[in-house]
Amino acid sequence: MSEETLLLNRLRALEDDSNGYYVVLFHTSQLRPANRKKHYLDIAARAFDNLLSNFEATLYKMSSLDFVLMCHEVPVEEMDPVIHKVRQLFSEDPLTDSEDGSINDKFTTWYDLSQIGDFSTFVEKANVLAVEAAEQKRREDEIRSPNALPGERLGPKTAGEISQKLQSVMIEDLIREQTAVVMLPGAKGDVMFREQYVSMSDLQKRVAPNVNLFGSQWLFQFLTETVDRRLLSVLAARDLSNLADSISLNLNISTVLGREFQYFHQKVGEGTNKVIIELQMVDIFADMAAYKNARDLLQNNGYRVLIDGLSPLALQFFDPAMLEADLVKISWGQEFEAEGEEGRTDDMRTVVKSVGAENIILGRTDSEDAIVWALSLGINRFQGYYIDTVVEAMVVKGII
Amino acid sequence: MAEPDKASKHVPSQEKLLLDYLQRLDEHRENRKIVHLHLSKLKPYNRREHHVQAAVNGFENLIQGMFGQLFTLKNNDIFFFFTDNATAQTETVVQKVRFLFSDDPMLEDEPPNENRFSTWYDAEDQYEEVLKLVQNIMKVEEASKSRQQTRMDARSALKTRQKEGDPMTPEILARVEAVLERADLSNLMRRQFVCGVDRQMIPEQSFSEMFISITDLRETLTPGTNLMSNRWLFQHLTEALDLRVLSLLLKSDAVAISGDISFNVNVATLLSKEFQDFDDNIAASKRGSMIIELQNVDVLSDLGAFLFAREYVQDKGYRVCLDGLSYETMPMMDRERLGVDLIKLMWNPAMVDGGPDMHKNMRAMVKKAGPSRVIMCRVDNREAIDFGQSIGIGLFQGHFVESLIAEDNRRRELLRLKRRMERSEEEAEEEEGL
Repeated sequence: MSEETLLLNRLRALEDDSNGYYVVLFHTSQLRPANRKKHYLDIAARAFDNLLSNFEATLYKMSSLDFVLMCHEVPVEEMDPVIHKVRQLFSEDPLTDSEDGSINDKFTTWYDLSQIGDFSTFVEKANVLAVEAAEQKRREDEIRSPNALPGERLGPKTAGEISQKLQSVMIEDLIREQTAVVMLPGAKGDVMFREQYVSMSDLQKRVAPNVNLFGSQWLFQFLTETVDRRLLSVLAARDLSNLADSISLNLNISTVLGREFQYFHQKVGEGTNKVIIELQMVDIFADMAAYKNARDLLQNNGYRVLIDGLSPLALQFFDPAMLEADLVKISWGQEFEAEGEEGRTDDMRTVVKSVGAENIILGRTDSEDAIVWALSLGINRFQGYYIDTVVEAMVVKGII
Repeated sequence: MAEPDKASKHVPSQEKLLLDYLQRLDEHRENRKIVHLHLSKLKPYNRREHHVQAAVNGFENLIQGMFGQLFTLKNNDIFFFFTDNATAQTETVVQKVRFLFSDDPMLEDEPPNENRFSTWYDAEDQYEEVLKLVQNIMKVEEASKSRQQTRMDARSALKTRQKEGDPMTPEILARVEAVLERADLSNLMRRQFVCGVDRQMIPEQSFSEMFISITDLRETLTPGTNLMSNRWLFQHLTEALDLRVLSLLLKSDAVAISGDISFNVNVATLLSKEFQDFDDNIAASKRGSMIIELQNVDVLSDLGAFLFAREYVQDKGYRVCLDGLSYETMPMMDRERLGVDLIKLMWNPAMVDGGPDMHKNMRAMVKKAGPSRVIMCRVDNREAIDFGQSIGIGLFQGHFVESLIAEDNRRRELLRLKRRMERSEEEAEEEEGL
């Protein structure tokens, strides 16, 4: 029986006498996707262990990933530390920004079931959750149809086989392009560069349709080293000495310091000022000396170096200016626009000051709001799905 | 790829010319002044080639009029030597150049009574000061030049292979991981102490780190293979090792170890079922004596996961240590904001050559992080401890610290023997006296 059904049955049993009962609903389904993971919530649920064993309380874990805590005669002050604990776990999530029990509290809702109004409101809520759960289960079953094999976990052995295949598989037709633009006053724009990348999901379909390449972060990173080399060799075969617009490539530092890049460099010739090399934060921090070598090597030869992979969260902890690159790409995230999130916009303001607005690109721009927000901070360089449509429109109008 | 420095091998560098010029100036100090423009302190985006060129151009008239001589260093700093009678003109030029950079945070935030942009010297009585300054700049430059190149061309790859063994491959990783699941690793478990070290080099144990020796693991499982040759594959291997470490720690002898202990795991491991089992089997009172070490790279690869895991384990009573910081990454990590209890800074002799500015920064960082919360690790000689102490670090770990402990134990042993001898002598005397 599903948790939703168990909850509904319990509520039905309480219809006659709900004295001393109350419910705390945790809106954990509203966490950011990064935090809304089943194993995170399983860990969070353990915060209730003491309460459940010492009092008359039941925890229902909804399929939506919300928690319903049903209590009978549990002193309210016993609840507070538990809620606080769960909140703390997600303290970086905008959902927990408002204070416990404040008018803006989006994290929990309390229902006093002995009050007829609260009781019926909650029953309604429980019904909605049950319908949603059934709907979700139906969708999952559909996906798990007999034809679709579940994605195999990416282990070292599989990674080795995939890496072998990557050496020879055709990738020319999987190279995609995403344009970064500079927005200029008067609805004008300019191409800043065109990022060249291999579509990993298409590549997966070609080399390992049944393996989830993203299943293991480190093995995925390992595979990107081979992809880098293939991408470089394909691009090196093109005419790079006479590029109309600048291009950018996202590479591992080990690739930049390797042989294939040397060959690529020879092909680029005098055109290095039109090539931007994007490097990942995690790669940089893994070996700062290697990063400095790669950066100096690139900059001394006329390339521009871009730091990629900066999330809004990361900005709270580092100042990318210290890396002395030419450009910094920061991913747009809802944290930036959320209400009462002045603090996070302040982080961005600090970065604008230390890096220089003209050296910042807002990546993953997915809405008009993101653009408006960035422009208000002086940032006018963008990339992302929303920008793709803007670029298309500009091409149609002949602006670009 | 073209070597950018090739050309400069034949042409003396500006630094070298500046030093030569300074040495010649020693005889003609009178009526000469020097101004040092700190362009290196500007943000990188404000000191690109064209910015520096614009600054240099400002001095053109003075140079053509034979009023002075200019040097631009690799770090973009400018030194201008001029004669007394050109002081007013030079001041005007410096003012104009400064104006070019007025929107840089260095100047925007400059307090009214401070001059961050330029420093002025009189050669007559400040010659030694300038000489020392230039020599220092050269030393820092030399140190950064000698920084080991990590080029992975065929030649260096071959050299690495000869020195450190065959590179790691996914196939080897798969084999190693399969063996790990069954092998008894308890004889590969090592223990290393983190100690306070006083001025007399006497160590005082703070806690000990338990770890599986990678060198010994490699010798046992895959002799001739360099397990660390590929960063990403090694990182994956550590996740498999984590689970073994947890189960080894649970074995009674490891847990019964006296004193506080630390161990290194991945963030993903903390969020796994295996860690929950480990935690369930640890006495609640024991958690407070355990320190969980997390690697810098791992933390960065998913900050959200780290923050969640940190909150989770700290709430249970464990302490968290951020491991693997270098002198280059440390300035970027704010201990307090990351919410970790301790941080580990890896010793690197290059720190000593970093110059007074870097030392000042490091001292400030240690102070900010809290001196009792910073550990210098991989300490393999006395220089490391001397340097660490000079920037305010009090805790150390590494081979040299182990040898200090051994030495200290010997010393204590000797002292005990000596006392025993003295006592027996006393007793003998007393007997004689009777």
